[in-house]
Amino acid sequence: MQGKDMAGNGINSSDSSSVTNGGWSKVLSENKASYLEYVDGWEKKIGSFLEYDIERIRSASCREGALAGIPFGVKDNFAVEGFNITCGSKILEGVASPYTATSVAKLQKAGAVVVGKTNLDAFGMGSSTDNSAFKVTNNPWDLTRVAGGSSGGSAAAVAAGLVPFALGSDTGGSVRQPASFCGVYGLKPTYGVVSRYGLTAYASSLDVVGVLSRTVDTARTVFNTMKGRDILDNTSVSHPGSANNGDVKKIAVLKVSDGILSKEVELSYAKSKNRLLSLGFELIDIELTSLEYVVPVYYTIATAEASANLARFNGLRYGYQSPEGKDPGELMQASRDEGFCDEVKLRILLGTYVLRSGFQDQYYLKAQKIRTAIRNEFNTIFESADLVMMPVFPTPAFKHGSAELDTFQQKVADLYTCTANLTGLPALAVPSSVEENGLPVGVQFTAPAFEEDRLFNVAGVLEAGFPSPTVPGIKDWSKF
Amino acid sequence: MKQTKYQTFIGLEVHIHLITESKVFCGCRNVFGSEPNTNVCPVCMGYPGVLPSLNEEAVKKAYQVAMALNCHLNEKAVFERKNYFYPDMPKNYQISQFEYPFGINGYFDLELTDGSTRKIRIHDVHLEEDAGKMIHEGSHSKLDYNRAGTPLLEIVTEPDLVSGEEAEAFVQQFRQMVRYLGVTDGNMEEGSLRCDANVSINEQGKGLGTKTECKNLNSSRFIKKALEYEIKRQAKVLNSGEKIIQETRLWDESVARTSSMRTKESSNDYRYFPEPDLPPYRPKADFLEMVKSSIVELPGIRKKRIKEEYGLNDQQAVFITGEKEMADFFENTVLLNSKDSSSTSKEFAATAASWLSGNVQKILNDSCLGISESCLSPERLFAVLKLIENNTISAGTGKKVLAMVFEKNEEPGDLVDKLGLAQVSDTGEIEKIVSEIVDANPKVVDAIREGADKQIGFLMGQVMKATSGKANPGLAQKLIRKKILK
Repeated sequence: MQGKDMAGNGINSSDSSSVTNGGWSKVLSENKASYLEYVDGWEKKIGSFLEYDIERIRSASCREGALAGIPFGVKDNFAVEGFNITCGSKILEGVASPYTATSVAKLQKAGAVVVGKTNLDAFGMGSSTDNSAFKVTNNPWDLTRVAGGSSGGSAAAVAAGLVPFALGSDTGGSVRQPASFCGVYGLKPTYGVVSRYGLTAYASSLDVVGVLSRTVDTARTVFNTMKGRDILDNTSVSHPGSANNGDVKKIAVLKVSDGILSKEVELSYAKSKNRLLSLGFELIDIELTSLEYVVPVYYTIATAEASANLARFNGLRYGYQSPEGKDPGELMQASRDEGFCDEVKLRILLGTYVLRSGFQDQYYLKAQKIRTAIRNEFNTIFESADLVMMPVFPTPAFKHGSAELDTFQQKVADLYTCTANLTGLPALAVPSSVEENGLPVGVQFTAPAFEEDRLFNVAGVLEAGFPSPTVPGIKDWSKF
Repeated sequence: MKQTKYQTFIGLEVHIHLITESKVFCGCRNVFGSEPNTNVCPVCMGYPGVLPSLNEEAVKKAYQVAMALNCHLNEKAVFERKNYFYPDMPKNYQISQFEYPFGINGYFDLELTDGSTRKIRIHDVHLEEDAGKMIHEGSHSKLDYNRAGTPLLEIVTEPDLVSGEEAEAFVQQFRQMVRYLGVTDGNMEEGSLRCDANVSINEQGKGLGTKTECKNLNSSRFIKKALEYEIKRQAKVLNSGEKIIQETRLWDESVARTSSMRTKESSNDYRYFPEPDLPPYRPKADFLEMVKSSIVELPGIRKKRIKEEYGLNDQQAVFITGEKEMADFFENTVLLNSKDSSSTSKEFAATAASWLSGNVQKILNDSCLGISESCLSPERLFAVLKLIENNTISAGTGKKVLAMVFEKNEEPGDLVDKLGLAQVSDTGEIEKIVSEIVDANPKVVDAIREGADKQIGFLMGQVMKATSGKANPGLAQKLIRKKILK
């Protein structure tokens, strides 16, 4: 069977990936001038980086290693010593990070070079990157549209070919949704497999470090470099490896009722099914009865944790400090009032509300129970299938502002991505097609815990059989 | 004086600062008295992206206390976030334990003044992080985060204490126990042991009344005074037909009274929820076995044993077992004697105990040292006592030798040799001096012969003076009597 063979080959491909063997390792040296010119040209149009400086901390990366000399972008909610950590919020404007996140440090140790910090929705809260206090990020496919979010800057930078990969964080789809909007790969690993140390917490029990990349094997290489237990993150675990060699035969395909997906996504989703069938995979239709609870459960848990996680930003030790305030209490209040944007305040208030005394059973603890039920439903599906296929988001990239999708509709649309965060399972957004409107659409695969290899393998087979289109006019630096 | 109309219920919340190398969730040093903001890092300063990493040493000490308090140990202990905004708390939530602490439902055997003991029930023992310190100076407030994230263990009792005096005794005995365990220095002035009290009164047999919480009880003496004040205040309120308001009251030592700090209505909603950054802690069997075997003999039990084993009186036993280092010193000294059969162990133990509580303690007090910090060792004390026992020196000279050991940090035997302090037991030599003294004091001799026996002391003094105190006193007295009454 074709799928199986190619999947088998894929496992060992991390040593000879396009990112390590191609021209990416030369863009900071031999091809520096033309590379910088290229970046500058695209940056003016898409605004993906909040800070960009290839020399700033180049010395922090090892000269040798699998990723030596390869540039990458890091979402600005990760700590990277030498760069700021603004989280896209005024309350952290100009705050220099005093240390480096474990995930970033591991990549530096393998030789990769942080060239800048990418734009995001403040604290990872949003689906458009429009909630950034500093910059508008445009979709390289259509500059009037968003790149998605919250890791929109990372997705846009990768799609425009400015870096071969970028780190994002995924709490409810923040890596996979912008990946789908920008036509790149977006990996959300199993919870706990990549250390969160240095990633600014939005919702600690849902947050994971994710990868956005142009190719499957780049995602695989980067993931394999970052994974592993970290003593600085007590929730991290070592990766036991795939239980079945990453083998994929049978894929459970979520049945989506009519009228939920936009025309483009519906068409693309149907294409994905046909492609998998043509590649020899066995498909079975499934339904997820718990799907209707996913969004309310997600927002209950995420906002509850966020309300505590964001309490530390009070303007006293670092970051924005209000000129108002007669005593420490008033000063904290004014700094938070002026420093946080409305979306962040909305989520803090919601989280405070669900945690208030006497209501935990009704909201937070109930949400945790439903979370367990969702996980159980997935486990049952995995008894008879190797992967689950779902859409990433009901629409392709939408226009800036709320003309096409208001902020409430954007939240409701998180249902397909939130499931992986609530269950802790690994998921990958795979670019699949560009529809008539010229926008890319991705499809999502979810695997059992620690089965990232199955995701890479199925994506690798699709990549080989049906190469996904790239943004018109971009340069593929891996070929130079 | 006895409150007969009302019954009193006091429950204590005791915080102890655990002795550990590093803070409870990061690698910063856990020490008192450093320059402000020198023992800090991104983790304890609450920088974006940091995570807590649990300190095993703090966990071990927490379990030692929970076990010593006979607690039931939860199979799964859960850290929770306690949310409230305060400038000295970097994250604006405190990592603590709430629903599933390390230990629950324990008890402490409180020794009462009549010598009997009563079980004071322990509600729970939980581990948490301390906050920093905010110092107000005029129109400014200064923040020092050195203390932020240091390990704090909170012990909550049930409302089983019935008076300020009992509460004071509990804190004293509890402090002694945790110092024995070596988990804290228990220094109340430095805040290593802090105490809040919940107190209510009610008519006899009617159960708990409406409680008030008294804070700022920073010494065991304050605890008694504050609670006695508060009990009287509550009685006055009830006697006048009014109701007690559930509130937090602050003890003000300068005016010796409690005053209202905040009422329940305006109190915080802490919005507890499980800490997602720390997995539940499930103590393994071998860990618990290791903790159990590391628990030393506790003071109440040791006092009883030492009293019986060495035949000490109450007062001596209380002194000897007051601090673990003293009890260890005492037992080590006695052990040296057991290898030497010239005196029975009970005799020697009594002597050692009285030297330790008297001469030794006096020098320690004067020099503000603990016995283990001083240069006296069980071997040196044993040597001094042996020199006295075998008449090489008198008890009086022994005192001097002891002082010199402290001063010069030298061996007692060497000091005696070097300074020629060994007493004269040569009969001929002392006889000669005695006859000179008797001849020189005919009036005293006559008086003695007429029955004024006490005057012998005067002659003894003269003999000692003439020999620079080195005459064996027993021998000298014998020779004086022999000479006069012949």
